[in-house]
Amino acid sequence: MNYKLTIGWLYPKLMSTYGDRGNVIVLQKRCEWRKIETEIKIIDTLSTNKDLSSCDLLMMGGAQDTQQEIVAKDLKKKKSTFKKMIEDGTPGLYICGGFQYLGRYYKTAQGNKLPQLEVLDMYTENPGRERLIGNIAIDAQNLFEKRTVLVGFENHGGRTIPGDNIKPLGRVLRGFGSNDISKEEGALYKNTIGTYLHGPILSKNPVLADYLIEKALELKYKTDITLEMLDDSLEEKARMAIAKRLQIAI
Amino acid sequence: MINILIILIGKLLSKFSKIFNLGNGSTWPGHIALKLNPNFISDSIRNSKTKVILVVGTNGKTTTSKLLQTILEHNQKKVFLNTSGANLLNGAASSIILNSSFVKLDADFAIFELDENAFPKFLEKVEPDYIVGLNLFRDQLDRYGEIDTISKRWKKSVSKLIKTKLILNADDAQIAFLGKNTKLDSFYFGLNEKNLEKSTMQHASDSILCPNCGAALNFKAYYFSHLGIWRCDKCGFKRPNKIFSEFTYLPLRGTYAKYDVLAAVLLAKIIGFNDSKIESALKKFQPAFGRQEVINYNGKQVELFLSKNPISLNESLSTAQGLKAKTLLIILNDNIPDGLDVSWIWDVDFEQILSKNINIVVSGIRAYDMAIRLKYAGFYVHITDTIENAIDVGLKDLENNEKLFILPNYSAMLEVRKILTGKKIL
Repeated sequence: MNYKLTIGWLYPKLMSTYGDRGNVIVLQKRCEWRKIETEIKIIDTLSTNKDLSSCDLLMMGGAQDTQQEIVAKDLKKKKSTFKKMIEDGTPGLYICGGFQYLGRYYKTAQGNKLPQLEVLDMYTENPGRERLIGNIAIDAQNLFEKRTVLVGFENHGGRTIPGDNIKPLGRVLRGFGSNDISKEEGALYKNTIGTYLHGPILSKNPVLADYLIEKALELKYKTDITLEMLDDSLEEKARMAIAKRLQIAI
Repeated sequence: MINILIILIGKLLSKFSKIFNLGNGSTWPGHIALKLNPNFISDSIRNSKTKVILVVGTNGKTTTSKLLQTILEHNQKKVFLNTSGANLLNGAASSIILNSSFVKLDADFAIFELDENAFPKFLEKVEPDYIVGLNLFRDQLDRYGEIDTISKRWKKSVSKLIKTKLILNADDAQIAFLGKNTKLDSFYFGLNEKNLEKSTMQHASDSILCPNCGAALNFKAYYFSHLGIWRCDKCGFKRPNKIFSEFTYLPLRGTYAKYDVLAAVLLAKIIGFNDSKIESALKKFQPAFGRQEVINYNGKQVELFLSKNPISLNESLSTAQGLKAKTLLIILNDNIPDGLDVSWIWDVDFEQILSKNINIVVSGIRAYDMAIRLKYAGFYVHITDTIENAIDVGLKDLENNEKLFILPNYSAMLEVRKILTGKKIL
């Protein structure tokens, strides 16, 4: 069977702060190497709700404040479609600013409360204190049901506080995570994954990239999918190198 | 009086640190000076006849400063600058100490290259004679923050100045913005080249929003990243009309270096040198270390292109590809001067720029990150554990008339240069 995935890249011009397109490149290539056809669909202020709902997998990066406001305004128009897709289990990866959007509100350092998409039971506050910056490693046990170390880099001023209905993506092994208290990182809701890890996250954690591809195919073709294995020895070495520096076992 | 003491102590410290090889001695005398007298820089400058030139922007500061130094010195001016890598206030203060004879600053011109954060701090203390504004690209978000924030902070600091002359890049909206609604004399440089005009932007681009009103900017053409012919349809802010865009002689290759040359030449003209004096000076120009610098190593030629962010790596790749490079050595570190985050390599357009048959060797602390990036771009790479090995591997298959192109980021450049020349540079 010839599979095809439409990857919706949300606001690449406005929300692609630091290597975010790497996640799209990784998804695209890992499909290509397995002969899964892909189409990258850019979802921006000119796109319709129909464009959005034609996507099988969503990816959203981070942004600067001004850009984030423009996106927030536009996303309001797409809110119900977006929400339905998430509820229906459309897999998605939401990084940093993209992750914060999924919550109820974002409170700026000046104390302004900006309403967000309210698809996930969580909120983010920027206390105006130091940004949380550095290499980070987490155990994404909630997603993979066994110890799975994901590595990346975090750089965020906002602290995200998850509500009761949100499972974190994982437990922080090194670094800060969603906020500086709970030692938890990211959020997991159906097939929606929010996280502060960039690097970009999928480049050194192909297991997460394959998870998203697998779920997207399963939802679209309504069948169990087992992806063909790829040679990830380079990615594995990169992950080991970070783990060694952070002094954790993989 | 305290400054006399600071200068004497500073000179001693610097000598001491050089003799005993305790690091480069280029920042910590300044660090101590500023601790003893927070106004050390302004006091020293006020008591001198030295004219102050600040060079700011993400890329090209060192090259532009070196170009200016060459033009000024060739025309019998006494010049000093803060040494490379010392572009914080303590580096500026150190250079003042080293260039003061007894108690007084002894130079016609001081050229300070300052990083994004040090620039507004410097303006709080000293009103410079000239500011050269080159560009604002995203660089080290972990250190400098986002460029919109930097741009706003710069504009605020510059608006407090009274007599400074501004030499600004017209093609970069964020930089041209510094000259908007100001009483200061503003002069602009930029490109005017039909053949370079592109209709789409490179990926690693930013600041597509109007710095004046926040609306999306409208571009007629892009020269390079977000640099181009722009205007804001909402508030009417647009690229200035009168732009210095050509000179008879260019000592460096590449679009990017052309901006640096235009900036330096424009300032030299404003200071009062004529074209022939500037041209003959530029013919003597030697690139700053690591910037298109050619070094002979074991009978072969190596050319270094400092590549520290997506914009400079894109430009280095284009230049090397244009020169028909057979082998590239890319070295990626994540030490403090480099920025700890290497995600930016995914914003580099390897796929579009390089031909598929080029040999690529990678090394550095983040060699694997670079290797993965290149794997996904469709290149097979050779990974080496040490930079020495990487150079040997890179040179192995080259004929004597072929060059190895080395693209290191900042701390990697220092390391590789030490290996190639057998000595430390700082």
